[in-house]
Amino acid sequence: MPFTATPIVGGDAFDQACRIGQEADRQLALIDDPAGHLACLRRHWDSLAGLGWLAVAMPEEAGGAGGTLSDLAALAGGAGRGGLPLPIAAACGVIPRLLADQPALLPGLAEGQHRIAFIPAEAAVDDAADVLILASDGSLTGAVVGIETPPDPTHLLLVLGGAEPALLLLPARARGIEARHYLRIDGRPAADWRFTGLAVEPAWVLGRGEVVARRAAEARDLGALLTCVEAVSAAGALLEQTIDYLLNRVQFGVPLASHQALRHRVAEMYVEYENLRGLVLQALRMAAADDGMPWRDIAFAKLRLGEAGRFIAQSAIQCHGGMGMTEALPAIRLARRIMMAEFEFGDRTFHAQRLLDAGRSAA
Amino acid sequence: MSAAIDYEAFRTDVRAFAETRCPPEIRAVVATYRKLSRKVWYPWQRILFEHGWGAPGWPKQYGGTGWDLKQRHIFDEVMAECDCPPQYHHGLRHIGPVILEYGSEEQKQRFLPGILSGEEWWCQGYSEPGAGSDLASLRTAARREGDEYVVEGQKTWTSHAHEADWMYTLVRTSKEAKNQQGISLLLIPLNAPGISIRPIRTIDGWHHVNEVFLDNVRVPVANRVGEEGGGWTYGKFLLERERLGGANVAPALRQLERTRELLARELGGERHRLKRAMLEERLLLAEAELRGAQALGQEAIAAVMEGRPLGLLPSVLKLGTSVTFQHVAEVALDAVGERLAPRFRPTDAAGPNAEAPGIEWVQNYMYSRVRTIYGGSSEVQKNVIAKQLFGS
Repeated sequence: MPFTATPIVGGDAFDQACRIGQEADRQLALIDDPAGHLACLRRHWDSLAGLGWLAVAMPEEAGGAGGTLSDLAALAGGAGRGGLPLPIAAACGVIPRLLADQPALLPGLAEGQHRIAFIPAEAAVDDAADVLILASDGSLTGAVVGIETPPDPTHLLLVLGGAEPALLLLPARARGIEARHYLRIDGRPAADWRFTGLAVEPAWVLGRGEVVARRAAEARDLGALLTCVEAVSAAGALLEQTIDYLLNRVQFGVPLASHQALRHRVAEMYVEYENLRGLVLQALRMAAADDGMPWRDIAFAKLRLGEAGRFIAQSAIQCHGGMGMTEALPAIRLARRIMMAEFEFGDRTFHAQRLLDAGRSAA
Repeated sequence: MSAAIDYEAFRTDVRAFAETRCPPEIRAVVATYRKLSRKVWYPWQRILFEHGWGAPGWPKQYGGTGWDLKQRHIFDEVMAECDCPPQYHHGLRHIGPVILEYGSEEQKQRFLPGILSGEEWWCQGYSEPGAGSDLASLRTAARREGDEYVVEGQKTWTSHAHEADWMYTLVRTSKEAKNQQGISLLLIPLNAPGISIRPIRTIDGWHHVNEVFLDNVRVPVANRVGEEGGGWTYGKFLLERERLGGANVAPALRQLERTRELLARELGGERHRLKRAMLEERLLLAEAELRGAQALGQEAIAAVMEGRPLGLLPSVLKLGTSVTFQHVAEVALDAVGERLAPRFRPTDAAGPNAEAPGIEWVQNYMYSRVRTIYGGSSEVQKNVIAKQLFGS
């Protein structure tokens, strides 16, 4: 029996998420135009909201399921394995966590009518002059790029960093906000946002000060952890599919799987996969043992995801030969997803920098 | 009952013991990567033995501690963290358990006490010039003459032969049987007539390994462990027991920590700014890998304790950790290389640079290359992993 990956957190939620992911991936592969693609994603968004995914981590008193990190990990893992191109880590984990103290918003969030794009304080900008600034008169200026979004976002949840941290919830169609929507290479919806003197109403400011910065950092770490779970799970599926391809693809009269060079490459992928799985398990264990986020364990896992994930994705493409350069196979769509996961919630140097800085200040 | 064991309290006890009872001069040898010889190992084994900790892996009735696997793992970890010599002797970890399992009562009485106290030192006569990874093709022959075997042949890569009293030795007792079946396990005293030992010069300049020549060496039949022709089974039993060696990541983490201190010491100032930044990043990547391996090691130990199969974990741990160990050694080499690599001596002989401060980092780097070769080379491990992953 060839290799089958074991879920980090298995169960019904994992299976369901995986099934929906595979279904979405299959349907999307048959759709050519971006509008059709978005419509399909929207259908799946509405159905997973209907299934209660967005309320999994919300407190019970707010109508949520009061789930644990483990419940979130089951969803993220299943979505990763199925290749679901929707922002599960942000929608189910990061955003509910940041809005936990906003009871008025939670029902709409849980039911999926509030489709919120999360803009972290570390969001990328094209130009240094674009860094977001909330002026003392309450106007917001600047531009951020490459922001992952749900389909048809209704709101933006924005963390402002710097000396005066703030958490803002903006209606996506307010005057002074311009959006450019597109699909990323992993098929997920994304947008660039420009703010030109947007008049921020006082009710849009959900919080200010150090507490915002701290909670936003924790939420980002939760996002990084769920992204790792998702990517490990995708990597397990990618390994299976690569092995399957090598077993069935015949050249020169023999299956590719008979060649030691390819077998060893797959063995190396597996070692990287296992090592990453170990780190993610450890981070999940630490997170379950404590209320706060174990940032150090998460940073190590995310750092390794950069290294190991890239290696696994590139090796899978190489093992598929010319087919690895096409968009035809689910395996290669998983590979692109794993590559993208590196750039979400802090890339490898971001997390390396945190760890090195902490080491220096301890020395 | 393992549920009743307070592992953290156990860890604290072991640490307190290691810190107070392991002599500083012994810990200094470990901390500076000097060669661990019998001279260093024996006194520490003696101290452990007198404390009742002579044989963590043995049953209590034979002087063992009765610890479970997790306790033994904690013990090994703490030894590494405190710079104590790893309690890894061929007698204790290899032939002792085989004698316990397959030896006669006389053999147990004769050999186990010396192993436990450290009075008698053992080495392993497995590999031969024509039988490395392919051990079953070994040719050293033992022919029966009355109550004795007469042994003729050559062993190689024999660690500790130059300081050991005994060699447990795989020999061919039948040429008719299939490769694996004609092999027997003999306990041979190294002072027997007909034995000569020659050192092998290795690239790290240390003397660890030897060639052992057996020229009509007469060995009593009573020194055979188990059945004639059963040697392969006993040899495999021994290797199976050590499959979880890679689960102990503590020595690698300790080396990483020391290397980090080395960078801070060695690479101050503007001249080394880029080098220090690059090496610090490489160390961080190695640390991430080691932490991943550490988590997998805990998973492996839990699997064994709960009776679940280990699957590919031993191979994954061996393959992964050996390479990371080498990466750490390379970082240290790159930190001191310009200054010290040119002065590294090629042989054991005390040259003018033998005591150059820091030279051990170069030596340790050279030594580290063996990690992906011994105990099943990386390529053999990849074959094992691929066979399982592809289902054939």
